[in-house]
Amino acid sequence: MKFGIAYEISVPRPWTRESEKTVYDRCLEQVRLADQLGFDFIWAVEHHFLEEYSHCSSPELFLTACAMITQRIRLGFGIVVCVPEYSSPIRIAERTATLDILSGGRLEVGTGRSATWTELGGFRANPDETKKTWDEFVHCLPKMWTQERYSYQGVTWSMPQRTILPKPYQKPHPPLWVAVTSPGTEVDAAERGLGSLGLTFGTVEEQEEKLKRYRRIIRNCEPVGDFVNEQVATINFLYCHEDNAQGVATGRRVTDRFIPLATQFVHNPEAIPTRSGASQGLLATLRRQAAAPGAAPPGIAIGDPARITRELKKWEAMGIDCVNFILNVLEVVPQEQVLDSLRLFAREVMPHFRDGRGESEDEALKSTSRQSAAAGGR
Amino acid sequence: MPPRYGKLDVSDWGKSAPTINGYRTEPWKLNGARLLEFRYEVDDGPADALLPPALHPAMPAYATFTVMDSPDSPIGRFMLGEVRIVGRAGGRPAAFVAASFCDSEVASRELSARWGYPVKPADVKLTAQHFVIAARVSTNGHPMLELELRNRRPLPAVHLQPLPSMNLARNSENGNLVLVQVDIDAVFAQSDGGSERVIKLDRDAFRGAENLRLMSPMSATFAVAELTLARIQLICDPESPAESGTIYLD
Repeated sequence: MKFGIAYEISVPRPWTRESEKTVYDRCLEQVRLADQLGFDFIWAVEHHFLEEYSHCSSPELFLTACAMITQRIRLGFGIVVCVPEYSSPIRIAERTATLDILSGGRLEVGTGRSATWTELGGFRANPDETKKTWDEFVHCLPKMWTQERYSYQGVTWSMPQRTILPKPYQKPHPPLWVAVTSPGTEVDAAERGLGSLGLTFGTVEEQEEKLKRYRRIIRNCEPVGDFVNEQVATINFLYCHEDNAQGVATGRRVTDRFIPLATQFVHNPEAIPTRSGASQGLLATLRRQAAAPGAAPPGIAIGDPARITRELKKWEAMGIDCVNFILNVLEVVPQEQVLDSLRLFAREVMPHFRDGRGESEDEALKSTSRQSAAAGGR
Repeated sequence: MPPRYGKLDVSDWGKSAPTINGYRTEPWKLNGARLLEFRYEVDDGPADALLPPALHPAMPAYATFTVMDSPDSPIGRFMLGEVRIVGRAGGRPAAFVAASFCDSEVASRELSARWGYPVKPADVKLTAQHFVIAARVSTNGHPMLELELRNRRPLPAVHLQPLPSMNLARNSENGNLVLVQVDIDAVFAQSDGGSERVIKLDRDAFRGAENLRLMSPMSATFAVAELTLARIQLICDPESPAESGTIYLD
């Protein structure tokens, strides 16, 4: 099983001139360490207007900075919003290709749409259209990356023939994923041969059915790209400490702050009558956890190495390929503790999930995607 | 830092709060109710002053404007118009009732005593035509709220999401101010959407004053439904965060 870090980049009030810079600097310090420790992925969200919760509206810039200070860790848009009011698909193709070049072919491209009126309303985008625009974008992107000249006449966007430049460094192109939060999106992912980038904190049992459905459907998929990216990632929190009670208590400070923060925003069905249903997802699970103050929530990677290993083994047994961790919210955990947690996790937990921790960069990349490796990888 | 919370001066606002007679009221069924509701973004910072400290604001801040015709209730026909500021009780959406107006003296009395509605008398009208649905709340001919839904189109009822109300009331037993959550169950028979137009909003009449500034429309819906004003299950201290100050009634 692989491990990644997911960045929302949460910045607490009061905001000073330095506060956002401080948080970004800390994130980059974590990324540099994670690369050295053998973590596999960095994912950066694209969120807009979500004050305190996420100040990561330009993930490509953050990921470029990550690329400059790391050697082997893979860098993921987690996700790029496929809504024309946010970005033209041309710009998405250009930006992702550029980052793939700058990172030496380490890019993963998560796609999706937004679940909140706070964001979509801010761009005056219609939530009922976002499934359609996402679908068109993901069908177009691989062609824009791989065809020398490209033209398109579609439903939600179009362009005359042009040469979209640059082209990605990875051949045929970077792996594609889709954020899976709303029920049924795992089917969308499987039918299109996309990786399933889980962004909900459901229990092992809750996610098992989704996973089975994904694995079954993807066998007969029609991939939108030149290869199938059959990988399933899930999201989790991480705080690892030698003392289990202290690990759980500190980890709970993060999970407990997440609830009021995330629920401030207006999800689509609350704002307008829409079929664009937002999954309760992470919030539902965290609310249940909140009913048991101080307890270590099942499936969540907080505590000592033994407990975290035990919980992650459940995900591994279920067939999850990758777990991506949120390390902090509102900076409630001091940076040194976050870094110590990463070190302890890498030393005590990671070996239980890897036979060859010292695997070479090429081997690590090879296993990222069975098809990209087969196609020549980087 | 904690998340933002409402900044309403509860003791001042509560001087005119209705008195609620215990929390044991039976549910009311409102058959064939017609409901026009607008959701509208309002100026984000000032709206905090319209939410009690128990609630934290939605982002973006928004209000609901609702006019209901209830032709068949346990006390007969009544019409209700209200403005609510939507916040969060813990993690859940909850709409604080800034002010409500009712055309029936009996209904006003009962809604106040049973669920803590801050009701005042007014003329309330709701007319639903094929092309336009119009609502008006007025006193002595002075309009306080005028709404129009145009470009009416059918909507699947499953897409409607009613929001529970929070009424600030005074408990008759101890005289304390309390926030009463009013859950409304709805079985929709018909639902439509359309474009919204707020023709008139007397902000002072709805106690919004300079803090209730309309910014950007969100949605307009019209529904015919069987509504149930549910038995009170949740109350909370208006001055404490709802996540810690909520009491679940048996």
